[in-house]
Amino acid sequence: MTSRSHNLALPEGTTTLIQGLINERTGMCFDNGKRDLLMDKLSPLVIERGFTSYLDYYYLLKYDAAARSEWQNVMNALSVQETYFWREFDQVRALVHTLVPQWHESYGSSTLRIWSAACATGEEPLTIAIALNEAGWFERTSIEIFASDASSKGIDRALEGVYRARAFRNLPSHLQDRYFTRAGSDWRVRSDIHSRIKWRIANLMEEDQIADQASSDFIFCRNVFIYFSENAIRRAVRSFARYIRPPGHLFVGAAESLLRVSTDFTLTEVDDAFVYVKRERERAV
Amino acid sequence: MTSTQPSVGVFTTDTHLVIRVWDATLARLTGISEETAYGQTVTSLLPDLEKRGLLKRFERSLNDGVVEMLAPAFHHYLIPCAPATPAKHFDNMQQRVTIAPLRDESDAIAGLIVTVADVTERLDQERELSTRLAEGDEATRLSAAETLSADPSFDATQLLGALRDDSWRVRREAVKGISQRAAPEAIAALLSSVVANHHDASLLNSALQVLTSSDVDTLSPLVELLNGTDPDLRMQAALALGEQRDSRAVEPLVNALRDDDPNVRYHAIEALGKLNAVDAVDVLTEIAETRDFFLAFPAMDALAKIGDQSIAPRIVPLLEDDLLRTPAINLLGQLGDETAVAPLTALLNTPSAPTDALADALAAISDRYESQYGEGRHIADLTSRELTATGVQNLLDAIESPGKENLRSIALVLGWLRRSSVDRALTRLMGREDLRDEIIEALVEHGRATFDLLVPQLTAEDLEIRRSAVVALGRLRDARATLPLVNTLREESLAIEAAHALGQIGDPQATDGLLNLLGNDDASIRQAAVSALNSLALPQMSKRIIPLLHDSDPNVRESAVKIAGYFGYPDAANELLELCDDPIERVRCAAIEQLPFVEDDRASSCLAHAIKEDTPSVRAAAARALASIDSPDANALLIEALEDDDVWVRYFSARALGRRRAAESVAALEKIVAREEFNHVRIAALDSLGQIGDARVPEIVANLVRDDDPDLAHAAKVAKAAAEGHTRFNE
Repeated sequence: MTSRSHNLALPEGTTTLIQGLINERTGMCFDNGKRDLLMDKLSPLVIERGFTSYLDYYYLLKYDAAARSEWQNVMNALSVQETYFWREFDQVRALVHTLVPQWHESYGSSTLRIWSAACATGEEPLTIAIALNEAGWFERTSIEIFASDASSKGIDRALEGVYRARAFRNLPSHLQDRYFTRAGSDWRVRSDIHSRIKWRIANLMEEDQIADQASSDFIFCRNVFIYFSENAIRRAVRSFARYIRPPGHLFVGAAESLLRVSTDFTLTEVDDAFVYVKRERERAV
Repeated sequence: MTSTQPSVGVFTTDTHLVIRVWDATLARLTGISEETAYGQTVTSLLPDLEKRGLLKRFERSLNDGVVEMLAPAFHHYLIPCAPATPAKHFDNMQQRVTIAPLRDESDAIAGLIVTVADVTERLDQERELSTRLAEGDEATRLSAAETLSADPSFDATQLLGALRDDSWRVRREAVKGISQRAAPEAIAALLSSVVANHHDASLLNSALQVLTSSDVDTLSPLVELLNGTDPDLRMQAALALGEQRDSRAVEPLVNALRDDDPNVRYHAIEALGKLNAVDAVDVLTEIAETRDFFLAFPAMDALAKIGDQSIAPRIVPLLEDDLLRTPAINLLGQLGDETAVAPLTALLNTPSAPTDALADALAAISDRYESQYGEGRHIADLTSRELTATGVQNLLDAIESPGKENLRSIALVLGWLRRSSVDRALTRLMGREDLRDEIIEALVEHGRATFDLLVPQLTAEDLEIRRSAVVALGRLRDARATLPLVNTLREESLAIEAAHALGQIGDPQATDGLLNLLGNDDASIRQAAVSALNSLALPQMSKRIIPLLHDSDPNVRESAVKIAGYFGYPDAANELLELCDDPIERVRCAAIEQLPFVEDDRASSCLAHAIKEDTPSVRAAAARALASIDSPDANALLIEALEDDDVWVRYFSARALGRRRAAESVAALEKIVAREEFNHVRIAALDSLGQIGDARVPEIVANLVRDDDPDLAHAAKVAKAAAEGHTRFNE
């Protein structure tokens, strides 16, 4: 569907240039089947800039001194924010009921760090915080939860902490009542849970933006690699491996696999949930 | 590297593996005296021999007379003992072991001779270098790579990981190191390493590519390994041969289809597929026809990759096989022609048909016919003719079952059927982003019959369904949809699509609704409304538009300017010129850009003023406008603007000079190419130099064709080629 972009000039080869640049800077992969979608999503930005050609906009993104702020507009236009509470909860259950207790036994005196690396509008880190709270972990140990997303729009909404009914389609109703209060037709998360999370804007392709949060014991990076190219996944996972605290657990979405792109992590199963664990340097016999 | 030369100890056994010789070096290396060892069986001296899988290596040498090697990278040691000197990375001495038969005078095997080399120190050093290679800074990694690369006695596999190092210098050294290892030893070592350490096989392939590019024959040693005794190595060799893109590998791989080990046969089949081995089509089809579950699958995969359509009729009988039905359907989808449609559709007409796979196959055949012959419709007609009510119901059940992800093919096949039940089902699914294009296409194809189904969807609860209905109604170009679509213009999230649809329908009744959008705050919506009104191209439109040039809302003025400029209303010239001084920058920009289409002598001076005196955005707009104005001063103004403080003014000025084929601007553009800070301005200058085609251009751009910035280098090449073309044409 290209009704949004049909007024803009698209010189030959420009789509490929834009696809490549977007992939390099954001990791997102818009292959041939999604080219129209990419152009549609960018068209308001091109028009807003007063350009009549995508090529001019490509040069703006690539070379202009003002490109940094424009990239944030691109991230906002392209990012997929559709998510919900208690999504793929098996992994969070494994974290709270098995992995955190194991961690506590070994490192109980230090601070547990968890990072939700592509948190969209905040449903995932809030799910983790609620589950930890339900299990009483905040009383037993020091926990830091970081949440980041490349889209400032997503983080702005996460900072508001207000969610539409659709975000609750998987959350048990008693938890919705316990942790959320009505705000018109929407729901606002309880402030003591919301304030446990440190929200940031961070692009997974920019190592300097993620180094701090990646120095965590547990990293959740779910349902984002499905939009990434293989090279971008490799780059992100390499950064995770560099900074994650040993033993280092990485959770990715059910439809995502790192087996083809990384040997830094090995796949294990914890309580019926798949988890990647940082591979330790092998010592010969 | 004298300090790392291995010490070698020797022992011998009889045919019962009783130790008969245990030399002094071995006693010194292992701490086991000759007295202790002599007379013991190997298995009593080394009780875990069988558990570690090594006893069979002794037995193979004894029974088959072959020489067995135990590589330290895999087995680490035969005789457990401490290293002769403390090692950082190893608790046990690392040993390279050779087991060879001893023969008597009649050439019969009388026992074994076993050599044990202590390679701990070298491996320790190798491991240390490998750690530095993985973890150090660039200088450390480079130094480690250089050391590993320089000494061929080091294991080349240590350099495998460095082929993906971030630093090109390290990668270069790794390539050098690996390519210096002579095949076949290096290949055998690489292959063993992949088997032993479960390395990423793609690393092996990178290494093999390096060797191939260094003119090292990789094929012969791989074929030798394919015919060797170790089934793991045979399997890896088959895999590696599949990656070599060398047709000479086909024959040995076909021979490997008779290998005793089914895993080797499996990987040989896969490899033949990767090699697109047309010569193997017959034997692969035979394997598929055996219906051997383990091998028929990869055989069909390989046949799909090879793509020989002649085998399709031989695959049809496999549709009867419960286990092989789905891969057979997939293969027919990839290779079948119109004759495959009837058996596939017949299967679709059965109650428990694998609907998804069948729809995929039919869609694939149709897509192929469309791209090859422009006759996708033929497959659609054949399917439609053969499909029974059961088949249609199977498709409807499949597309409406919850939780399914990939339904594109089912939507496509349903779209071939002109039945009201199908149209209703498709309409309900219009909200699915992944199916939208196919469904809209189908509904549009079904024509006006779908109109009554689509209009109610304009008020559906789901935004995406409303959006698809808008798009489909626009494509139907049915004027009955005008008023319902005008109503959707009020919904901001649909306004762009609705405006576009109204533009496609072209009904004058849409005019007021579209005019109402000219003041919208969203620039994209305003632009969509402008485009739609331009498409309507109604007579008397000037009477509606010209008054809007005086509107108090700058958004309306800006939109009206664009329409007035597009149609070039003579009555609007004064207003357009006045709006070049509008207090709002956006309006000035829009008015300036329309000046080339205003037939008024004042337009040139207005542009000259704008490109010198106004804000950067207006100056850039003026540069764009100067590209197409008929004025003797335009080139001089644009050349001057190449010195503007604002980068986008320089960019659009450089572009405009190209469009104007301004030969007098070559020197100024050359200066931009040489000195401009921003590469997109240089690219614009290069593009323009190519368009102008001056004889000096090849020389001007010569240095840039290998620039680090690929966009700049590409622009330089294009400019050079274009200018040379001009020169040849002129000659």
